[in-house]
Amino acid sequence: MERAIGIITTNYSSVNPSELTASRPPASVPVLGRFRMVDFMLSSMVNSGIRTVGMILPYKYRSLVDHISRLKDWSLDRKQGGLFFLPGTAFGSTSFEARFLIRDLLDNEVILEKAHEPYVVLAAANIIMNIDLGEVIEAHAASGAEVTMVCTEAKEADKALLTLKIDDGHVRGIKFGVEEHDVAFLDCCVMSVDSLRGFLAAYKAEDYLDLFEAMERDMGRLDVRPYFYEGEALPVFSLETYYKNNMKFLDEGMLQEMFNNDRPIQTKAQDIPPAKYEQGSKVKRSIVSGGCQIAGTVEDSLLSRLVIVEPGAVVRRSIILQSCVIGAGAHIEDAIIDKDNVIPAGTELKGTPEAIFLYGKGSIS
Amino acid sequence: MGKKECIAMLLAGGQGSRLGALTRSIAKPGVSFGGKFRIIDFSLSNCANSEIDTVGVLTQYRPYQLHNYIGSGAAWNLDARDGGISILPPYATESGGSWYAGTADAIYRNLDYIAAHNPEYVLILSGDHLYRMDYRKMLEDHIAHDADLTVSYLTVPWEEAHRFGILLTDENGYITEFAEKSPNPRSNQASMGVYIFSAHVLIEALVADAANPESEHDFGKNIIPMLLADGRRLLAHHFDGFWKDVGTIASFHETNMQLLGHEPEFDLYKPGWPIMSNSPTRPPHYVGPNGQVENAIVANGSMVLGTVKHSILSTDAYVAEDAEVIDSVLLPRARVEAGARVVRAIIGEDSVVQEGAVVGTGDATKDIAVVGNMVVIEGSR
Repeated sequence: MERAIGIITTNYSSVNPSELTASRPPASVPVLGRFRMVDFMLSSMVNSGIRTVGMILPYKYRSLVDHISRLKDWSLDRKQGGLFFLPGTAFGSTSFEARFLIRDLLDNEVILEKAHEPYVVLAAANIIMNIDLGEVIEAHAASGAEVTMVCTEAKEADKALLTLKIDDGHVRGIKFGVEEHDVAFLDCCVMSVDSLRGFLAAYKAEDYLDLFEAMERDMGRLDVRPYFYEGEALPVFSLETYYKNNMKFLDEGMLQEMFNNDRPIQTKAQDIPPAKYEQGSKVKRSIVSGGCQIAGTVEDSLLSRLVIVEPGAVVRRSIILQSCVIGAGAHIEDAIIDKDNVIPAGTELKGTPEAIFLYGKGSIS
Repeated sequence: MGKKECIAMLLAGGQGSRLGALTRSIAKPGVSFGGKFRIIDFSLSNCANSEIDTVGVLTQYRPYQLHNYIGSGAAWNLDARDGGISILPPYATESGGSWYAGTADAIYRNLDYIAAHNPEYVLILSGDHLYRMDYRKMLEDHIAHDADLTVSYLTVPWEEAHRFGILLTDENGYITEFAEKSPNPRSNQASMGVYIFSAHVLIEALVADAANPESEHDFGKNIIPMLLADGRRLLAHHFDGFWKDVGTIASFHETNMQLLGHEPEFDLYKPGWPIMSNSPTRPPHYVGPNGQVENAIVANGSMVLGTVKHSILSTDAYVAEDAEVIDSVLLPRARVEAGARVVRAIIGEDSVVQEGAVVGTGDATKDIAVVGNMVVIEGSR
């Protein structure tokens, strides 16, 4: 297999800031019960044989570094290579939220300078996907392209994504935001380490731009090609897509597709016992994480770790994050309850399917 | 290497032959328990939580899966640079080699390991037991009484006393008599097989025992009686908590079931004493639109499309639509397919109960049904 290093950027902000991203960067937003967004790209890289990963950190890096810091869980506790935490600037200043800010890449060029591997996979961390990057790297090497951009046909509009304008098998331009059926860039690309360094040198004067924003004017002459990813790719950049794309995993078979044992998605291991159902529990079409204790009713919902649902409590069409207690007889519907909240007995918290109710983070973090 | 106050020697070489099909391919300490754990997790976690950072694990029977599971010990925070876990299988020397002949022989043959750490005290444990215990309290007791050996015990029902090493104590808590598995026990103070020795006492006793051709080289049968006869200070330390040696299929099943219910006696959800484990990272479990789960423990990676009542589902277990699992334990990756019924049974790792098959019976006078690892129970189609 062709060898590559990985660079994951995690320091972009959110176009749709919400209370979920007030206290944590988008990359460490909890999803699917026990995971964080960054787990998907980091695991995809490790599963593809990448053993040197640079992670460009956001200003509020605590939750992210805490999540990643047991490098053994990621097979990145290595004498050569491993995971490098790289400083990132707080924000870009471009017309859209830069995912690959030139300045950040230039500031951390040392990781490219020292790389023995010929290729680099450059990716952000806010798309739920389990991608075989080995195939992308092979395809890139075989095509002779300068840049290979991973993309998919958009299933719905999303203003946080980038559209690739494709002509004759080449990427000829970009557009901010995607409409249904557009070719959506999945914030993941492959190029040679030398090419990336070349681009960084060429665009140095515009280091406040996103790499692809700067590159656009040259796309006519550069050999930039799309790689169409066939698997499930679920972007999570807003509260709306967060809710919708978590809920998709309540469809039978979705979990197995994303979490096949050949390419495991890793996450921070925690020493908590499995979930426990008590007498009288009624649970249907739900995802339940370790350490939960359920005596009430849970339907069409996702429970993160250590959630307690007391007798008579009802949770419907909701996402309950870690360590919440849903008190006896409380009713939660169409809501997202952020971590560490204690919902007192008998409380009603209801959104509607059109307007999901978000209950912010509890006082303990 | 620095001097350690106390190191642990963990006996994990037993077959656990009375667990039958469950230990055909893995030693008893490696048997899955409680959904995401393996039996050895409990004693390793007790060591880590008791701040004992040097643990020698003695293995012998079917060691590969157990060695693989223990790995570097990192899962229990036991991958310390100075100490950590060392796996100690039987080995050959220039005068030949042989299997460990008994618990005492196993430790005797690893006196080099003990000497390398030069501890004041040696804690001897079994990897077969399920309990949460702070060994520091026992060590404090041992030191405060200037004992040569401290044996921890619990009070058991009289009718079970014949299965244990039974000790008699004087009014100061010192042991006056010790009898291993006596048909007529004289007390119900049962040894848990957890010992703290002052290191020099242990070394002298093991050397003397090794030279005795009559000895079975067993702590309960030989070492403790010998020390008593020598007039050593043997202290009894009372343990007041849940402890179980799951020796048989019935007790394995029963102890799993004891985890269920609200605040049970063996409560894994009580905070402050985490049971650590080297279980794989799997997604949370899924309950389908027609799933029904009540009074159960369900581990990550599982799928429940049918009915699960009063049961334990271990990592990556699968219960299909219209399948029923009642009063049972599914071990990791066990599958119960559509329309199958599993009642009062244990289904081994990677085993499959095919469509329409029935395993076990609700008749409580019958034994618990057991399907070993990697077995396919064919359906009635």
